Amino acid sequence: MKDLISILDGNTFLVCDRRGDIEPSLDFPTGLFSFDTRFLSTWLLTLDGERLHALSIDEAESYRTRFFLVPGEPTHYLDAKVSVIRSRAIGGSFEEELTVLNHSGVEMEFTARLDIGADFADLFEIKHVRQKRGHTTATVSENELRLIYRREGFHRETVIQTSTPGQIEVSGMTFRIRIGPHDEWTTRLGVATIVYGARGEDIRATLPYGGSRSAAAIRTEQDDLIDRAPKLGCDCQPLAGAYRRSLNDLAALRYESIALGVRLMAAGLPWFMTLFGRDSIFTSLQVLPFLPELIPPTILMLAGLQGHRLDDFRDEEPGKILHELRYGETAGFEEQPHSPYYGSADATPLFVILLDEYERWTGDAQLVRQLEPQTRAALAWLDTYGDLLGTGYLWYQTRNAETGLANQCWKDSWDSISYEDGRLPGFPRATCELQGYAYDAKLRGARLAREFWGDPAYADRLEREAADLKIRFNRDFWLPEREYYALALDADGRPVDALSSNIGHLLWSGIVDESRAGRLAEHLLGPRLFSGWGVRTLADDQGRYNPIGYHVGTVWPFDNSIIAWGLWRYGFRAEAGRICDAMLAASRFFEGRLPEAFAGYERELTQYPVQYPTACSPQAWSAGTPLLLLRVMLGLEPQGNHLIIDPALPEGMGRVELLDIPGRWGRVDALGRSRTPHDGARGH
Amino acid sequence: MTEATERFFESLPARAPEVLRGRVAGTIQIDLSCGNQTAHWLVRMRPGAIEVSRNRGPADAIWYSTEELFDRLVTGRAQAIAAVLRNESTFSGNVVLFLAFRAFFPDPPGTRDPREVARAQTGRPR
Repeated sequence: MKDLISILDGNTFLVCDRRGDIEPSLDFPTGLFSFDTRFLSTWLLTLDGERLHALSIDEAESYRTRFFLVPGEPTHYLDAKVSVIRSRAIGGSFEEELTVLNHSGVEMEFTARLDIGADFADLFEIKHVRQKRGHTTATVSENELRLIYRREGFHRETVIQTSTPGQIEVSGMTFRIRIGPHDEWTTRLGVATIVYGARGEDIRATLPYGGSRSAAAIRTEQDDLIDRAPKLGCDCQPLAGAYRRSLNDLAALRYESIALGVRLMAAGLPWFMTLFGRDSIFTSLQVLPFLPELIPPTILMLAGLQGHRLDDFRDEEPGKILHELRYGETAGFEEQPHSPYYGSADATPLFVILLDEYERWTGDAQLVRQLEPQTRAALAWLDTYGDLLGTGYLWYQTRNAETGLANQCWKDSWDSISYEDGRLPGFPRATCELQGYAYDAKLRGARLAREFWGDPAYADRLEREAADLKIRFNRDFWLPEREYYALALDADGRPVDALSSNIGHLLWSGIVDESRAGRLAEHLLGPRLFSGWGVRTLADDQGRYNPIGYHVGTVWPFDNSIIAWGLWRYGFRAEAGRICDAMLAASRFFEGRLPEAFAGYERELTQYPVQYPTACSPQAWSAGTPLLLLRVMLGLEPQGNHLIIDPALPEGMGRVELLDIPGRWGRVDALGRSRTPHDGARGH
Repeated sequence: MTEATERFFESLPARAPEVLRGRVAGTIQIDLSCGNQTAHWLVRMRPGAIEVSRNRGPADAIWYSTEELFDRLVTGRAQAIAAVLRNESTFSGNVVLFLAFRAFFPDPPGTRDPREVARAQTGRPR
């Protein structure tokens, strides 16, 4: 059973325990957060001095929870004379309706007490606790407690109001209540999170969406979004459940940028509720066939924040696409580099890939023309600052030793890139999938240059460079004795020889020689990499393998979705289908919500996909995974003004129909049916 | 008005073809305060060109800063987005203009080309 309950609306979210309480936590982000600041760190309810216990929790919706509670511990047969309902919703602000019910036949008196506190911690101060530099004050008025944090011009407030009068102090609110027989008492608590900006106004007051929306408005907006997505009809219940859940979560993870006033996609709850270059691009690629309207704000924001200067603290270079943008105190006072931080070597080629893929689906030539300068700058980065050593490959090495990222690829934990024997290479490093992305970006950039920018000479040049890169890559990264591509090159240009899931991304990029693709597919579906639930990040016989190591043995749904796409690209439909099948089987254990990662244990061993201990959930690119798997299974590929539909469903999947797929063709339907041993070649 | 700020605004028209390569067009009023005094600059941007004057509006956006902070921005010693996040500087109106304008701000003093640094470190001088 889950120990923590989360609700979210964009990048405002609340994480509490099963009673609905928040207690100060030093290691995990419990509390009410908005724009990377914790606005409530204590929110604890007692009745006559006693903590409550949950009888049941209704958490069917992403933005609303109801807790049904009784006093005391559940150690004896329950005969409660009183129960409590906490009904809460989040929508920019946070509201809780607190109801106490007297089940006895006599009038009763109670003291309900809510301890309230705000530490205004920046999300980055939760892992690394420090003394706050600013100061917190509190003011009390008749129905309101106001908690105030100031550090120079930085000013945040939490304002808690109650609809029913109580005794209000700086540490909480106390309600002495008298309830008639079989009657009830209620108060509505409103918690506003205020981010002061220009002219001392809440910065969100000037945003088009206003930051704060009612639960009903959220519901309407989520329903509208889901209505616009293609309709799925299928025999496979896990697929139907995962699809619905994914659309809900993707809708919930959209937030309004404090800077741009547009809707962006947060990456994952609780650690990554902000804009990431890589995550938002991969999520966009996954959802593009379903919700193309989510893409332009992301592309425009990434283009608007493209690097323009050399800045060692932020690992910024001209033309580079950002890694992470944060809004909190540590970003503002430059204790962390996220304003924005550019420490990612893949976001820049992926940006070009996304723009091309977006046009191929939607025919939005205007955006491609509008972003010509930024796209050219991104392509130029690949051959200039990206090629740190001048060897024709993409390399990375942080210039911010203190708070920068050592690994600037999707596996960005410290030990993710290793030799087979477990040793770690020096810097700079050139991981293999970066070269694949660069190859794909050049080819796609060439198409954009030829078709939209009227520059065939540039297109020719990019194609020549891509062809040359493919030849060199297949020479320098291939390990002939092991028959796979090295995970990376080290600073001396020697292969970092671990067997990893990164080879699946190479298939997706198309940089793999046709003659070698079959061997890669065998590795990916072989026992060293494939756990039965999916492809592990690192093969289980490698020095650093750990089934619960973040990037050294766990299974990542997003990674698997890209690998399935890659297998499909090289014609390995059955192998792609096995990955789809395994992912959907795993999703059943998470009520359709694939987490960020789960353990790499052998399926036979656990019979259950063990969730990675601190995995984010919902996580945008995990929510996007079932959508991309659907595309892979149905074989959806735009070609000119048409959508190619070429289904190949895993055995036992039955019927799958996806209706009203949007794109430059208007809307079309895709139907597929799996082969069974009995219907032989009839299939689709 | 600091000398660095004066020089910065003077340099903009010549730098615009290189810096303003996107399709951004619009006007920002930049209000620089020093004690009780506020100096106004108006910059009108279009692709490849910029006009600078000492007028007030009309503008699509207004940017408020102290003279002291702006001096640090134009000499690369501060970064514009962090300054907004800590509310040392504020901005209202079309933020795309702000993002485009920030491209005129230089590297932090003393920054070396990361390629030179990496190549020297690995013994691969360019």
